[in-house]
Amino acid sequence: MELWVLFGTFATLLLIGTPVAFCLGISALATVIFMDLPPVVVFQRVNSGVSVFALMAIPFFIFAGELMVRGDIARRLVALAGGLVGHMRGGLGQVNISASILFGGISGSAAADASAIGGLMIPQMKERGYGVDYAVNVTVVSSIIALMIPPSHNMIIYSIAGGGRISIADLFTAGILPGLMLAVSLMVAAWLVAARRGYPTEPFPGFRALGGLLLNAVPGLLLILIIFIGVRSGVFTASESSCIAAVYALLITVFAYRTMNWSNFVAATFAAVRTTAMVLMVIGCAAAFGWLLAILKVPTTMIEVMKGFSDNPIVILLLINLLLIFLGTFMDMSPLIVITTPIFLPVATAFGVDPVHFGVIMVLNLGIGLCTPPVGAVLFVGCAVGKIGVGQVLKTIWPFYGAAFATLMLVTYIPALSLWLPSIFR
Amino acid sequence: MQDGLERVARIMGQLATAALWVAGAALALMTAVIAAQVVFRYGLNSSLIWSEPFAIILMGWFIFLGAAVGIREGYHLSFDILIYILPRRAKLWLFSISDMAVTGFGMGMVWFGSQLAGSAWNIKLPSLGITGAIDFAPIVGGGVLIVLFSLERLARRAAGLPTSRFGDTAEAV
Repeated sequence: MELWVLFGTFATLLLIGTPVAFCLGISALATVIFMDLPPVVVFQRVNSGVSVFALMAIPFFIFAGELMVRGDIARRLVALAGGLVGHMRGGLGQVNISASILFGGISGSAAADASAIGGLMIPQMKERGYGVDYAVNVTVVSSIIALMIPPSHNMIIYSIAGGGRISIADLFTAGILPGLMLAVSLMVAAWLVAARRGYPTEPFPGFRALGGLLLNAVPGLLLILIIFIGVRSGVFTASESSCIAAVYALLITVFAYRTMNWSNFVAATFAAVRTTAMVLMVIGCAAAFGWLLAILKVPTTMIEVMKGFSDNPIVILLLINLLLIFLGTFMDMSPLIVITTPIFLPVATAFGVDPVHFGVIMVLNLGIGLCTPPVGAVLFVGCAVGKIGVGQVLKTIWPFYGAAFATLMLVTYIPALSLWLPSIFR
Repeated sequence: MQDGLERVARIMGQLATAALWVAGAALALMTAVIAAQVVFRYGLNSSLIWSEPFAIILMGWFIFLGAAVGIREGYHLSFDILIYILPRRAKLWLFSISDMAVTGFGMGMVWFGSQLAGSAWNIKLPSLGITGAIDFAPIVGGGVLIVLFSLERLARRAAGLPTSRFGDTAEAV
């Protein structure tokens, strides 16, 4: 009965358009009152849920990303990617995808990737005779790569939602190969579609020019090295590394690129406040919600239900994947991670799946959900940048969805893709 | 009624802007504090004992203030499929029910947050040397603004004025 109150209130509020954070908090409050517990517990949980040092990495990484984006880093990354792969078949499509790999090392946000790189690439692609649908397809689906390449704050959200014991360093490392694999499969899709439509390629600029482009982008790209070495070596905590990243981003954009002025800085700070407050409020309220899930033994019940369904981990993983894809089409990524991790992670581990591996599956899976209707924030950003209807884009997006889904299946069923790289560093 | 609400909107707008500046300053200060912690620990080999608890309090401020401004500006993540297919009048009613629920939760943040602050009043935080009640100040402050901004939404809707929709400007993260 308590479960009905919890999920019933949650679902009702969600359906009438209440912000997700408050759906979680209010349904927890209603359940606590129904169970005759003191309501103050809920607010205590919310407050302690956001008073965690490890959470600080999320605002810092988002802040660093905002500073880099407003400091015009995307243009330099696109230029570098252009020099590297512009001469391949489907030229600017390949450039778009490669730029997402580089951008992923700066910012972990798919929406930021779609608007920053899409804003530069889509007009350029239109001009060179590429179809707008193709330009938007490539931009939208390739922005999932940014979620996989470190620093990915969604991996941190997963680590915290999983109880804070899953190593962020391992999660960051585990995302790299799957992220690159996704890039390769999307490049193949972009190549095939471009070949059929006869899209042009760009001339190779020569190694001298390429060196110049690289030099231009290096200060930004060093960021990924700083973060990675900092977190991986264990010298700094993830929160400290991310703070260094934010300070470094500020220094680079002020002194090296000279693109940061006061109004850009204020805009970046406000954007970071808006995004982080929204995400962390969800995490705080989910702490109260998750505490009730544990009290009401939802995870253990879920394991029993799944075991009754099948005892084959392959089937269970497929089931969880399909469920997450379904939920992901309706809801945004970060709330889904905080809500579903406490429920599905125990199931996955009960079937012998490594928590780090499961994190990679989840982030990739929900990343695909960001590009699907009816609720797909990244898809909408891409369509808005390309000034094209969602329906028109969906007609030709299938090769790219296909590539992303194929990668998801490979990542799900070949654990080594996620776990091999972290095992070398350990 | 509408003139009065426009005046209210100006004041609330200024309040939201002020809250955003405080939240932004808290984020910038938090960055400086943790950067200082890193410099002291690895550069000067002496740890700051107050940096982490202080930064966590700053984080509390920008989360709860930012979440409150999100109520007014409509940048919270939400789900609006059902809402799309309903007739306008029904939609507005449901939005109002939602705003009332959020108001209630905001009141809870103020009331129970104050209760928690009261019970921590006599506990002195060892690292900062001040009362433990400070840990609960952000949830109370944010709660006050959430109540104010939600009530403004309800009043504006009752008067037939527009309110920002959740999800309009939501960024996926």
